[in-house]
Amino acid sequence: MIADALQTLLNGLAAGAAYALLGVGFTLMFGVMRRLNLSYGATLMFGGYLGALLMAKAGDALPDGLLAVLAAIVTVAGAALAGLYVERLCFAPLRDRSGVAAMVSSFAVWMQIEALASLLLPRHTNPYPAPLDLAPLHLGALTLRAEHLLTFAVAALLAVLLHRLLSASRFGLALRTLSDSTAAAQTVGIDARRITLLAFLLASALGGVGAWLVLVADQQVTPMFGMWSTAKGLIAMMLGGLGSIPGAVIGGLLLGLVEATGQALFGPQVRELIAYGLLFVVLVARPGGIFGRATVDLDAAARERL
Amino acid sequence: MLEIADIVTAYGKIEALKGVSLSVAAGHITCLLGPNGAGKTTLMYTIAGILKPRRGSVRLNGTELVGQRADHIVSSGIALVPENRLVFPQMSVEENLAAGAYLRRDTADVATDKEKLLARFPVLKERRAQAAGTLSGGEQQMLAVARALMSRPKLLMMDEPSMGLAPLVVAEIFRIVEELNRDGITIFMVEQNAHMALKVAHKFFLMEQGKVTFAGAPGEVAQDDVIHRAYLGSMKVT
Repeated sequence: MIADALQTLLNGLAAGAAYALLGVGFTLMFGVMRRLNLSYGATLMFGGYLGALLMAKAGDALPDGLLAVLAAIVTVAGAALAGLYVERLCFAPLRDRSGVAAMVSSFAVWMQIEALASLLLPRHTNPYPAPLDLAPLHLGALTLRAEHLLTFAVAALLAVLLHRLLSASRFGLALRTLSDSTAAAQTVGIDARRITLLAFLLASALGGVGAWLVLVADQQVTPMFGMWSTAKGLIAMMLGGLGSIPGAVIGGLLLGLVEATGQALFGPQVRELIAYGLLFVVLVARPGGIFGRATVDLDAAARERL
Repeated sequence: MLEIADIVTAYGKIEALKGVSLSVAAGHITCLLGPNGAGKTTLMYTIAGILKPRRGSVRLNGTELVGQRADHIVSSGIALVPENRLVFPQMSVEENLAAGAYLRRDTADVATDKEKLLARFPVLKERRAQAAGTLSGGEQQMLAVARALMSRPKLLMMDEPSMGLAPLVVAEIFRIVEELNRDGITIFMVEQNAHMALKVAHKFFLMEQGKVTFAGAPGEVAQDDVIHRAYLGSMKVT
């Protein structure tokens, strides 16, 4: 019984670690632009499709290990490139202007990328190369898939690196000022266009790594992956609190845990239902998210001190 | 030091600045007065390179600034303390100061400057790790000034530094302005509080409806008339 619960916990955290990366990418974009990029999941899917395409065209000619490494590279690079395309097309021209127009155009790009993906690989289910053909690890009564171990390691490493980047680098300082107040960032001479572009690339690449970890565990990619990763990233971001990066990590892990618990208790068919239910409950109870550093609170504190 | 000639800045079809010309002498405190909507803030943002003028020129010691990016203008020695202070609310006092020095590469000197400024503004030192959004209005104004000073400006532009502050705090801000000026920083200040502004200014300009309509030195002219126009515009003067 306890072993079952621990196993569920482990599975949930593994899924959650990937969700956390998806959520962090979303949060970085939202933070610097205050805009929702609806094509986020589609750009990640584009990367995933490049990996699957590589396997379909060259899978027989390449050794498994090399194929897996190349797939990882094209997936992350493809996601970053597609992100760059979205930023230039939807967000850069509409800076400081209509937020709705930018959001709608990102929706249009989502459809565009989905259409492109199904032209590249018309089948619904496409095999994706997995790097690890290892037997699961057995720790007492617990089973740990090699893919899950990989997910933990990669997500933890990226979280540490991102934290270093944001807290100790010049780029990180610029990015944080921009998320905090675009108007103020301009007055200290921060080039919002350049930093936004770089943040978009970084966010797309981080999302690409998250997508890669999911695809490696699933060993397949479908046209639904775009919608799926947008939904997971968005829920992770909203749960943790809009604009908070540690919040997105916690939100992702929590989402993974709750989904796994729901599945263990009620079966796989309620998994998605539970995820949206959790989002609903959190938004009603704490509209700013669990870790949302609501600016309203800061304003109120400042007024009290006046 | 700063020569502004025939600047026209527009928002869409509406010209907020209709050919503004004025100059700021090195070492002076120059004040720009005028009623709401005269275009004072637009002028500040145009000089800072954040708004692009339709035509006209802004020269700093002879170098043309129009067409240059905002970060180049900060690097060339102009810092703006914006209207409503615009501190980074979620970042700490120290991080706000670090952001002010964003364009500087001399890391060691930046650290020294930060400590000097914290010593100069003891309220900020007490709250160095606190989120700027939790400071009072006066403290946020001090922080906005200190943040601008972190770029080591030759010319400090201040947009309505006294706005919304209690009289004692306003007096403190003006004391700081005079102190900075004595340290050799040229000040160009937009101010609604004409009484206070005329006390510290070496020279002032009056702006109404996108144009400079009057220039002078305090004491040269009847202050009541200037103050009246600064608050209300010229149509009331009879």
